[in-house]
Amino acid sequence: MRPVRDSAAIAFKEIRQLGRDPVSLILTFMFPILLIGIFIIITAAFSAPSYNIPVVVADLDTSPASEVLVDKMTTSSIIRVTELLPTEEQALHRVETGDAMGAVIIPQGFGESLLTTGRAFIVLQTDNSKITAPTLIQAAVNREAADLASTAGGQFGVKQVAVEVIVRPISGRPPTGDPILPGFLGMIAILGAFDDIVNAITRERERGTFPRLLLSPVSIISIYSGKMAATVLLTALRTTLMLIIFVLMGLAVRGNILLIYLTTSLIAVFTLSLGLVMSSRIRGSSTLTVLEIALTFPLFQLTGIFQSPELLTSGGRAIARALPWTYGNEALRRVIYLGLGLDAIAGDLLVLMISSLIMLPIATMLSKRTM
Amino acid sequence: MALKLLRDIFAVAGNESRQFWRNRTAILISLVILPLFFTVSLGAAGGGATTRFSPTANIPIAFIDNDLSTDSSRLLQTLRSSGDFNNLLLGYREDSALAVLGTGKIYAAIVVPEGFHNHLANNQTSKIILYADDGEPGVGDQISATLRTVVQDFNPRVEVQPERRGLSQIEIVQKGALFSSFNIGLVVVLGVVQIFATFYEIAGGMAREREDGTLARLLVSPTGLVPIMLGKTLFDSVLATIRTFIVLGLSVYMFGARPSTDLATLVIVSLIVALLTMGFGFVVSALRVGARAVVIVEFFLVLFLFAFSGLVIDKELLRGLSKAISNILPWAYGFEILRRTVLIGRPLLTLASDLQIILAATVIFYVVSYAIFALSRERLAF
Repeated sequence: MRPVRDSAAIAFKEIRQLGRDPVSLILTFMFPILLIGIFIIITAAFSAPSYNIPVVVADLDTSPASEVLVDKMTTSSIIRVTELLPTEEQALHRVETGDAMGAVIIPQGFGESLLTTGRAFIVLQTDNSKITAPTLIQAAVNREAADLASTAGGQFGVKQVAVEVIVRPISGRPPTGDPILPGFLGMIAILGAFDDIVNAITRERERGTFPRLLLSPVSIISIYSGKMAATVLLTALRTTLMLIIFVLMGLAVRGNILLIYLTTSLIAVFTLSLGLVMSSRIRGSSTLTVLEIALTFPLFQLTGIFQSPELLTSGGRAIARALPWTYGNEALRRVIYLGLGLDAIAGDLLVLMISSLIMLPIATMLSKRTM
Repeated sequence: MALKLLRDIFAVAGNESRQFWRNRTAILISLVILPLFFTVSLGAAGGGATTRFSPTANIPIAFIDNDLSTDSSRLLQTLRSSGDFNNLLLGYREDSALAVLGTGKIYAAIVVPEGFHNHLANNQTSKIILYADDGEPGVGDQISATLRTVVQDFNPRVEVQPERRGLSQIEIVQKGALFSSFNIGLVVVLGVVQIFATFYEIAGGMAREREDGTLARLLVSPTGLVPIMLGKTLFDSVLATIRTFIVLGLSVYMFGARPSTDLATLVIVSLIVALLTMGFGFVVSALRVGARAVVIVEFFLVLFLFAFSGLVIDKELLRGLSKAISNILPWAYGFEILRRTVLIGRPLLTLASDLQIILAATVIFYVVSYAIFALSRERLAF
């Protein structure tokens, strides 16, 4: 009974301390809002109805077929034909100098080949040093070329594509839905817990209050449990904030809300346990924060926030599978998108729990040693 | 006069160096963790620069053949021989595959419906259905994109499927250099590691000096403000150069990266980005920002750079407010210089406009921070 009372007292103290520090209080809840804000801007850019990517065209054929293709490209919503150039060299030069991001060259004999054999080719040069533009240009040119073949098929004697792929996502949500929002929720649980550990231990050390806390009749286990309870409470508040934002953004949460809270709490508890281990070696709060932030950025890549760990290389998958956060993010996705229950995510939650149970005794031992 | 200035600059740089080498954590973060974590996570995600990596190759996918025709068998053969689908599982029925989708046993199911052969025989377009586990970000999109590319070349009339040729009516021949995802990522890592580390070293270092009380002593010493700022810049430039070598060493020797430019250009561009960030670091520290706030500013700086500097989406594709933010972020021009030199191999001096913007921003940052420091020296010291 006593340890529970002590833990509750410590948790209460943590919340009161945070309430008295307006900067920390605002930051704790600003992280999710700012992260989501940036995410909205990025997704808005990705799902823009038009891009106007500058592309130059060299029509060396000037046949009716090539002119139809040029017309189609000029009306594309993705690319914007900025110049029609007489030679291939000039078109390629525009891409090399960065004046255009792509060059389409319609070779001589294009129209004749399409009429006589039903097949032809065009040359596309893109600025492949760019991240997204080459793929968009390729897709746009591909679409216009396929459109030329299908709409003008009778005129040019071209047949349809042999096999068409129809995609059916299993969640039933639109294919253009936001695939990374559950991962963001996981990330916010991680970042929030890292921030809590800085508030909870390192700055207490810097103020000199941590030794006093240790000298009080409260055991170190109760201190850690209390700090953990405060983090769980703050994580629940952050999760609520995120879920409200999700709903405002039109995201349908299909699974049990309580499972989402359970998962984010376990992510936070594991992060806090790891943070306790780290804080036993690193004393400065800003050093610890910068280290944690430095660790956070690779986690975006490795824990399945932007893309599934299944799409990583074998080495990357092994690293991802060794990180307990990956299981937390996976559980969040399965609950939010697929509406799966506890039985489906029990394994993921178990990994998080066991990892925390391994980390906590290590943190306690290291803290006692470095006291 | 000039000699004294030089002596003071070297004295401050020497002091910085001694402080740095005495701090194990600082060495670990600056020279080990930052370069190592960012470079290794890049290689782990997309493989090295010399290996062909197909993200869909090893994903378990059910292949359900409801047509059981020669054409559907040839489709399976086409998929298997493409190198993009090495883990096709044949033991599933459509309903059993749908039941396990979402559990992590399989991530997609390709269904060849009845009538596949008949449609093809009648010269009609045949359909195949892809059920994707869209609970896994990117998996469905990646599999469908790869599947579309592979079936685009599918010819049911030939026994052995041609490689990347076939029935496409208008073939698109891609010209120009193709870069591995590692080489593209190397540009990001080179820039981000420098920005992350140098900002913390300058702004964080100044904030700590203020909190420890040593900044006040430094400011009342006969050393002027200019030697203090330049001395810190000099030492941090040395660290930035070491970091560039570490990132490049890991990239070249561990992941087979082959930058298209020479080492000197790489070091110079990295230093330009580092100097810009140091200037910004001085501006932030001139605003009397505490050590914790420095870290928070740093987090959002890096996050902003990811969003608006062409690291996630090309800045040319941004619109409205995001475009405006991208245009005023001088680091965006630094990443552009890195991309053009590291990937395309453009000589540095041909990127004059980007260089001018970044150098102008650096000078503005240094002048502004010097002015604030000079005007409110006493306030800033404590």
